[in-house]
Amino acid sequence: MIALDPESAKRPEFIKVRIRRQDAPGQEPYWELHQIPYEPELNVISVLQRIAAQAKTLDGKAVPPVAWDCGCLEEVCGSCTMQINGRVRQSCSALVDRLLEDNDDEIVLEPMSKFPVVRDLVVDRQRLFRSLKRVKAWVPVDSYYDMGPGERQLRAKQEQNYPLSECMSCGCCVEACPQYTKIELKQKDGESDEAFEARKNEAFDEAFVGPNAISQAMLFNNHPTGKALASERMDALTGAGGIQACGNAQNCVAVCPKEIPLTTSIARAGRAATVHVIKKWFEK
Amino acid sequence: MSTSATNAESFFLRHEFAIRRMHSLLGIVPLGLYMVIHLTTNASLLNAPETFQRAVFMIHSPGKLLPLIEWGFIFAPLVFHAGLGVWISKTGKLNSQQYRYASNRRYTWQRVTGIIALVYLFFHILHLHGWFHADFWLAIVRPVGFGSFRPYNAASSLVAAMQGFVWPTFYLVGVLACVYHLANGLWTSGITWGLWISPTAQARATKICTAIGIGLAVVGVSAWWAAVSPGEKEIIEWRQVEDRMYEVGVEAGIVAEDEHKRYEEQDMGELPAS
Repeated sequence: MIALDPESAKRPEFIKVRIRRQDAPGQEPYWELHQIPYEPELNVISVLQRIAAQAKTLDGKAVPPVAWDCGCLEEVCGSCTMQINGRVRQSCSALVDRLLEDNDDEIVLEPMSKFPVVRDLVVDRQRLFRSLKRVKAWVPVDSYYDMGPGERQLRAKQEQNYPLSECMSCGCCVEACPQYTKIELKQKDGESDEAFEARKNEAFDEAFVGPNAISQAMLFNNHPTGKALASERMDALTGAGGIQACGNAQNCVAVCPKEIPLTTSIARAGRAATVHVIKKWFEK
Repeated sequence: MSTSATNAESFFLRHEFAIRRMHSLLGIVPLGLYMVIHLTTNASLLNAPETFQRAVFMIHSPGKLLPLIEWGFIFAPLVFHAGLGVWISKTGKLNSQQYRYASNRRYTWQRVTGIIALVYLFFHILHLHGWFHADFWLAIVRPVGFGSFRPYNAASSLVAAMQGFVWPTFYLVGVLACVYHLANGLWTSGITWGLWISPTAQARATKICTAIGIGLAVVGVSAWWAAVSPGEKEIIEWRQVEDRMYEVGVEAGIVAEDEHKRYEEQDMGELPAS
């Protein structure tokens, strides 16, 4: 069902792969065309493995192997996220036979555009994880004391929370979001690693927090123990770069590989922000 | 250390949430509400010049307070909404060519129509209202065809200003851009404020906002047609109607006497002399 029918005339002999490469952070990207023999049931990761083994472009020029990231190979870790034929997704679950159905000419691979490139298809998604810290996307329990049994969770609440807990922080949502723009800083001469880190975090913290973090904030605000930090999370979401930076283009929910109802989370956060800010205003 | 005045301390970032919510609110009240009233009033000209003139007399009944109302409830919110809107449109990076989803296209159009509306409203207000009514300013803008609306000769001066091809085209594009911007802005504001949350609720809201948009577009195009379709014959006829209404209105004490708000022959030299 997945592989192209061996009898099919459309089944190609070779697969052409166009890759946007970059040698190091801050350097000029360039395009390179590779070609591998067709095999049935490949995914983009196995294509990249063959390209790396071959380390030669279509013109026969020897090149350093293309660098990429991958982990679980079953679409739950998010590390192999990249732009494939202009659409952000995981390369492990991008099946070549399906890609060839849409475009039998070539496969185009690009790194994500909203994060600094480390090398070729590898990006630094530090800002994504920083945003989870910003909204305190955790349950505040240190297991030091026995706090007794947890609060009972209603079935309806469980069903609302489970999809949100599926987020793997892959970054598809922020890649497709027109309001989330790239932040790439360069370490200055003589700047210590700590100072550079602090400068980066400062820049991240005032930029748009992104749909994934908003959704995680809603997940933990809806959690019986996690809600202890609800007000702090709402402070973060109504601060600089918070929920107000959302432009309602709703690309996030359309590209999410886990089909997480991100725009529902955003609207819930909008309502919670309205209530939170009015309450705070009158409690001052 | 040299960047001690970091952005985190800037007034704008500290109050970004409140400023953005203010932008959202002002877009609906007063601006959106005002636009509905404005287009409906103008569409009343389709009935008769008297209907329109009565409405304008009523709008102008606050007399000397009118500039205060105009600036406080229309121009100031408009300048704020427009200024921040330009900033907002610059914070995003359009990608509806790459991600061709309907909602993403609406996002792009919201920004495009916002910019069109900004240019349109700037010239629309200059063209008919003139922005300021100080004599020295009017002496500059009126000879070049701006500030050409006369509230006490409402229909005739409006029609006279809307002759030709350029202004009517400009107004049609501008009005439709404003209508789209309001209808789509209404939909997104419902998400912003947390009114419609689930996808089903948002789909329902889409239908309602589309209906509002289509309805308002019909009213807007009617208002436009009422202003562009009459010709020179109507200008002369309607001016007499308006003059009669003015004289009787002043005598009855319903209309405040103000010659500045009436048609004067000398500064509309290019128009047909009666």
